[in-house]
Amino acid sequence: MIDQRLYEQFRDIGRDIYVGQLTSSHGGNISVRVGSRVIIKRRGAQLGRLKPEDFVETSLYHTDSGITRASTELIVHRAIYQKTSALAVIHCHPRTAIALSLSRDAIIPIDVEGSYLLHKVPVVSSEYSSGSQEMADVISDALREYKIVMMRGHGCFSTGQTLEEAFHWVSALEEASDIILEAHLLGEERIEYRKHSEAYSKW
Amino acid sequence: MEGWAGKILDINLTDGTVNTLPLDMDMARLFLGGRGLGARLLWDLVGPEVEPLSPDNVLIFAAGPLTASGSQTSNRFSVSTKSPLTGTILDANSGGWWGMQFKRTGHDAMIVRGKAAAPVMIIINKDGVAIEDAAHLWGKTVSETTAALGQNNNRRNVLCIGPAGENLSRMAAIMNDGTRSLARGGPGAVMGSKNLKAIVVEGHERNKPHDPERFRFMLYETGKLIKASPLTSQALPQFGTAVVMNVVNEIGALPTRNFQASQFEHAEAISGERMRDTILVDKHACWACPIACTRLTRTSHAEGEGPEYETTWAFGAQCGVDDLEIIAEANYLCNDLGLDTISTGSTIGCAMEMAERGVLDTELRFGRADLLHDAIRDIAYRRGLGDEMAEGSYRFAAAHGVPELSMSAKKLELPAYDPRGMQGQGLLFATSNRGGCHMRGNMLGPEVLALPRLIDRLASQGKAGIVATHQDSAAVIDSLVLCKFTNMAVAEEYFARVLSAITGIEFTADDLMRVGERVWNLERLYNLREGFTRADDTLPERLLKEPVPDGPSAGYVVNLDPMLKEFYEFRGWDENGVPTPEKLKELELDTLAAEVEGSGA
Repeated sequence: MIDQRLYEQFRDIGRDIYVGQLTSSHGGNISVRVGSRVIIKRRGAQLGRLKPEDFVETSLYHTDSGITRASTELIVHRAIYQKTSALAVIHCHPRTAIALSLSRDAIIPIDVEGSYLLHKVPVVSSEYSSGSQEMADVISDALREYKIVMMRGHGCFSTGQTLEEAFHWVSALEEASDIILEAHLLGEERIEYRKHSEAYSKW
Repeated sequence: MEGWAGKILDINLTDGTVNTLPLDMDMARLFLGGRGLGARLLWDLVGPEVEPLSPDNVLIFAAGPLTASGSQTSNRFSVSTKSPLTGTILDANSGGWWGMQFKRTGHDAMIVRGKAAAPVMIIINKDGVAIEDAAHLWGKTVSETTAALGQNNNRRNVLCIGPAGENLSRMAAIMNDGTRSLARGGPGAVMGSKNLKAIVVEGHERNKPHDPERFRFMLYETGKLIKASPLTSQALPQFGTAVVMNVVNEIGALPTRNFQASQFEHAEAISGERMRDTILVDKHACWACPIACTRLTRTSHAEGEGPEYETTWAFGAQCGVDDLEIIAEANYLCNDLGLDTISTGSTIGCAMEMAERGVLDTELRFGRADLLHDAIRDIAYRRGLGDEMAEGSYRFAAAHGVPELSMSAKKLELPAYDPRGMQGQGLLFATSNRGGCHMRGNMLGPEVLALPRLIDRLASQGKAGIVATHQDSAAVIDSLVLCKFTNMAVAEEYFARVLSAITGIEFTADDLMRVGERVWNLERLYNLREGFTRADDTLPERLLKEPVPDGPSAGYVVNLDPMLKEFYEFRGWDENGVPTPEKLKELELDTLAAEVEGSGA
């Protein structure tokens, strides 16, 4: 059973993701780990309008009846919690980052904030890019080394100790992606200002 | 060497033999060094049949793979032993120069066994290892001993005990470089029980990175983070650790008068700001540290290092004392006599409450600053009431029929946070493997300082996972061995890359967290083997049943039971707090678990 304090975190972060145009009205999903349980958004619930009844609590390790109502991506969330020390997971659809993921294997920020926070965000692929075991494996393996990763053409999976932390990485990624896009559109030669920046691609 | 030197010194004081053992590299990969390596070695060397102050107990001094590398704060080392205060597994770690110098002697760790027939000291230099007579040093203070043995930072560094260790106070620290301490849990008493007064090290080897270019890049990146964090670049250098005194007091989490209240009306008088404006003379940094949190202070009568936040609290709010000069001098005394300031101050505070309740016939009362220094000397030399207090607050209070007045967990005195106002800190204290301690995953960061994010300090649901990952993270830092303050600016993903650059072995952040989890579970197994149970994962009754009387945390007690249930589930332990066979197999600890009843292995 979700308590009021935890519900308020879900509600506020869900609202911020939608208002920040980081997902469509019914897209994306978020969860937290509580002991050996996962509390995850109900399938089909709107992230921007989450109510206390919009959550499903299910086992981290075993499929139970909760799966009938849980988000499609529960399998990915479970894999992430099992393979990493994450306590919160956000999946959403940041549009500029998705656009960049179509043409590269990593998003490497060029702005100060993005470089500082992320260094590099890998882009991974899966033939079945929604709710599959293959996707769960690819994403969770990548998150053993990175706090946020992109699924090519689909969206990001971000982790943290809290929902707020995971949201920070999503927000920073989309901002960094917007800057890459806008710098590209300007078409001007870029002046490198960061010492050791060549090492970021190997981060 | 590239990370590990590959050698462990093995010294037996009973017969005077010195051996060099190879470091098992599989063990190094699984436990890194410092606290982790110490715990693994202790598991094999000291079983439940060993009494902590007997010759069969050992001291394991251990550096880490980053020690002496030049990575920020890579000066630290740890000592592992069975604690005479708690009976649990114990490690304590310290900064300064000694750890760096020890690593440069070409060793990853040193095991000290047995008991010398008379006081001795160990000398390690390029000529080898010598065990020499130290009868002329027995009885001398830490400063006298350190000076007599020629302490010289960066060349010759001295580690020793003071009178408290010689007199087997269960709160005795081991001191290095004069004023740094391996303080908690009484390791100084173990050293005293072995008739070992000092260990002097002169190093000459280098810990060079396998990949110098990557190492330089990582130093640059971590340096940026330390400079960017207001805590590590401004608050700690300007005010020292006491910078949090006013902050913790304002939220109602500053234990006052033996945890009877959670706000101290004179907190400002003992704060970091007041220290800067009055007794602060200069600041000081350990080797390879860019933070420089050490305070050099001078009072009307003396000068020395400190006090830290915990010490200022222990002799301040805990004892109802608001005289910063007397508190600083209490700190100098503890350093010189070789005492843990937290346990000493807390035990004196406990005695003050006992006296006010009529349990004890003594002049000690809250606010009696004039009696503090004599009480400390009496504890170190085991004189009068001090002889009883030297046993630690739990044994002391229990002997007078009031164990509930000891503010301790597993008999280790709690530090300077009232967990009724920081629920996660309460769970941390209750589950800490060395007893009530904030250095096993301090929740001050997330619950108060917003590091890395501010979480609801009064909430309990979902807290267990955050506490557990902080515990694992602390175990990683303690095994590398680095200063916890770097972890307030730098995350595991950076430490993993630094470690990879130095050793040439690739580690991910998750690999490191798995090491931390492994260390935590091994320590848990050790305590289970010693007979500890779920019932020991608890807190003083006051914190569970007496709501905070007033202030921002008014009405709260520690909501421990649901957090503990969630904690066991998160860790993959059964309802009795025993790691499951599946968890132990996952952590590659299953071969050890067969020795622990109920582990299922």
